[in-house]
Amino acid sequence: MTPDADGGGDSRGSRTWNDDSRTRLLFAALLREEWRLHAGLFGGWRFAAFPLVVAALAATGAYALLESVGGSGLTDETLLLSVHLLTAGFGLYSGTAAFAGSDMLENVFGELSFLLGTAATLPLSRRRLLGLFLLKDALFYAVVFVLPMAASGIVLAPTASPGAIAATVGALWLSLSLAFAAGMAVTVAAIAARTRGVPTWAFAAAIAVAVAGAWLVDSVGAAVRAVVVPFEAGLPVAAGTAVGTLLLAVVAVAAYDPTYGRPTRTVGDRFVSLSDRLPLGDGSEPGTNALVAKTLLDLSRSSGGVWKPLVSATILFALVAALVGIVGSITGIEPAPGVFFGGVLGLSAFTTYNWLTQFDDLEAYRIYPVGIADVFRAKRTAFVLVGAPTVLVPYLAAVGWFGATLLDAVVGAVLLAGYGLYYYGLTVYVAGFDPNEFLFDAVRFGTFTLGVAVALVPALVVGFVVVPPSIASGTALAGAGLGFGLVGYVLSSRAGPRWQRQYRADR
Amino acid sequence: MAAIRVEGLCKSYGSVRAVDEMGFRVDRGEVFGFLGPNGAGKTTTIRALTGQIEPDAGTVRVLGRDPTTEPIETRRHVGILPEQGSPPSFLTPREYLEFVGSVRDLEPSYVAERIDRWTDRLGFGGKLDTLHTDLSRGQQQKVMIAQAFLHEPDAVLIDEPLANLDPLVQEQVKRFLVAYAADDNAVFVSTHNIEVAESICTRVGIVADGRTVTERSLEDPPADADPLLEVFLEEVTDAEARDLPASARRIVEDGIDDIDEPNREATEP
Repeated sequence: MTPDADGGGDSRGSRTWNDDSRTRLLFAALLREEWRLHAGLFGGWRFAAFPLVVAALAATGAYALLESVGGSGLTDETLLLSVHLLTAGFGLYSGTAAFAGSDMLENVFGELSFLLGTAATLPLSRRRLLGLFLLKDALFYAVVFVLPMAASGIVLAPTASPGAIAATVGALWLSLSLAFAAGMAVTVAAIAARTRGVPTWAFAAAIAVAVAGAWLVDSVGAAVRAVVVPFEAGLPVAAGTAVGTLLLAVVAVAAYDPTYGRPTRTVGDRFVSLSDRLPLGDGSEPGTNALVAKTLLDLSRSSGGVWKPLVSATILFALVAALVGIVGSITGIEPAPGVFFGGVLGLSAFTTYNWLTQFDDLEAYRIYPVGIADVFRAKRTAFVLVGAPTVLVPYLAAVGWFGATLLDAVVGAVLLAGYGLYYYGLTVYVAGFDPNEFLFDAVRFGTFTLGVAVALVPALVVGFVVVPPSIASGTALAGAGLGFGLVGYVLSSRAGPRWQRQYRADR
Repeated sequence: MAAIRVEGLCKSYGSVRAVDEMGFRVDRGEVFGFLGPNGAGKTTTIRALTGQIEPDAGTVRVLGRDPTTEPIETRRHVGILPEQGSPPSFLTPREYLEFVGSVRDLEPSYVAERIDRWTDRLGFGGKLDTLHTDLSRGQQQKVMIAQAFLHEPDAVLIDEPLANLDPLVQEQVKRFLVAYAADDNAVFVSTHNIEVAESICTRVGIVADGRTVTERSLEDPPADADPLLEVFLEEVTDAEARDLPASARRIVEDGIDDIDEPNREATEP
């Protein structure tokens, strides 16, 4: 904290800060807040151990991928593309933090108590605060998330010299960080454009054109790959990507309108009709329909509407489809599409549940005569109603596109339903009502990952080895789907009492 | 029988004793004010009254029920207005009150009639179909007041009833609370605002250090009774005074008669 040379203060004790000192002060405070937020939520060591969990997962995933494609090591192009796609995708997601600069996020999470909210009370520019907030996020994730991913490459080249490994891991870290920053900048730019009145359909059209261009035109596809994977694009292209990302971020923050707010919205009464139409029967507890209807209306009226879970599932589908295509083109081995996609697409249960819990919290239900178990039960019903069509569309596209046999498609459908319910139950049991927060808790994240791996890995192995599935393997997989579905149902049923006990003990 | 009865209530969070041998009762027909400084144990007590937490010790009864063992039944029969407004919801006030009616298992026709009555009373009829997220805080508070009374409960637990309301509506709500209690109901009001307590409460309990340190009737007080503010300040313990800013500590130490002296000197030309 250094005041200006001429900033000795005035009679009221105020000091004059130059822009650089104020910026440094703010940036340091934002970083400190980020650390304390996570350390306070999970306990210091559980948060500190999170990068180790990421490193372990990344190393395991990379090893499995290379084994399956017979890859050549740390710089294998399949591995590079996969890990960069994943990181850029996470960057796209992390860029949504830009919502925090406007009233839009307050509509979702309520009054913000973070430093970001101080622009309303202190003489700070909201744009500058937002820019520093995003820069802090980029640096934070580059260290906590991206660095462990890059460092996990050490296990892939154990025989190389330490210097060579360090150089490669360092370059990989910079490359991944750039892919992350590029993804983040794109989202921030989109949000900034939205605050300037660019309509939603224009974004949808731009995304469709970009995807179609990358898919159909080789040169566009190559350009996109060069941007997403700077590691293999060469230094000049990587430098160009870095400059472009920086420019895009600067322009986005400059264009961002912090005063943007949606006009007041009025709607007709949908609650009663929706509540009456829900197929829960007369035997359900009083209020169950109401709890489900409220969740569905909150989801459908929030930004992005009911399409949000579908978009999340489609992104997962696109990533997996790209991976299957790459593996197939390199090795000539393609998995049984029904089994493969059925097992993997069930993971969208996590994102769907996340969307269903974005607009309320358990505390709010404590003024009504309902128990926490009732709320969790209603969320499960809403999950089934929203999640089923959400995964069905990409699943049908997958089995159609990759030409699954009838048995494969049926077995995959059973896996999809069973595993989806299992992943849901696991998420609810481990994370309770805050699935987003548990991402940075090493213990919970590790537990969730282990739980997923126990079900998914054997199914994927069978899906790769027995193509198309035989009656025996199909029966075994369908049995696994039903069994894990039952486990998911039990877990989700026990989540209510579990979190009720915890809630009453903690509050 | 008391509508609300608390005896020897204790609750700790780790090494912090939030509530320590708390005790009071609220009878039907009363507006009971629960007054205390920040951190005195008011919120923890309300959580115990509504079954949100399990006390370490003590007895709590609300309308004859134990909220610890019967939290849902307790909440079914009382109305609760939390200090924090509900988190933003994408329901409209009409839909939200229908939602509350459903979880309270009320007849739709009854709910519709109550919605009309409350929109009329608090004046948010023009906002009935506006999304809750787009309402001002004052409008949101009106909706929350309506939900607390939707089922005409025998007892209501209210945390800062007048927050964010304009003076006109504040006056309406005050009158309503007094009339509601007079109709053989119990109204429990937790507040920092001594003027509010003086204007609507029939009795107050002052809490400090996690316990009720004194109770006082505000009905027909003797002519020589100390002002409530003075009583309140006298009951602030030394321990709490240590956490107060210096200026507030001086008020505690000197009494309210001396409050204006330094300020007057400072503001005189």
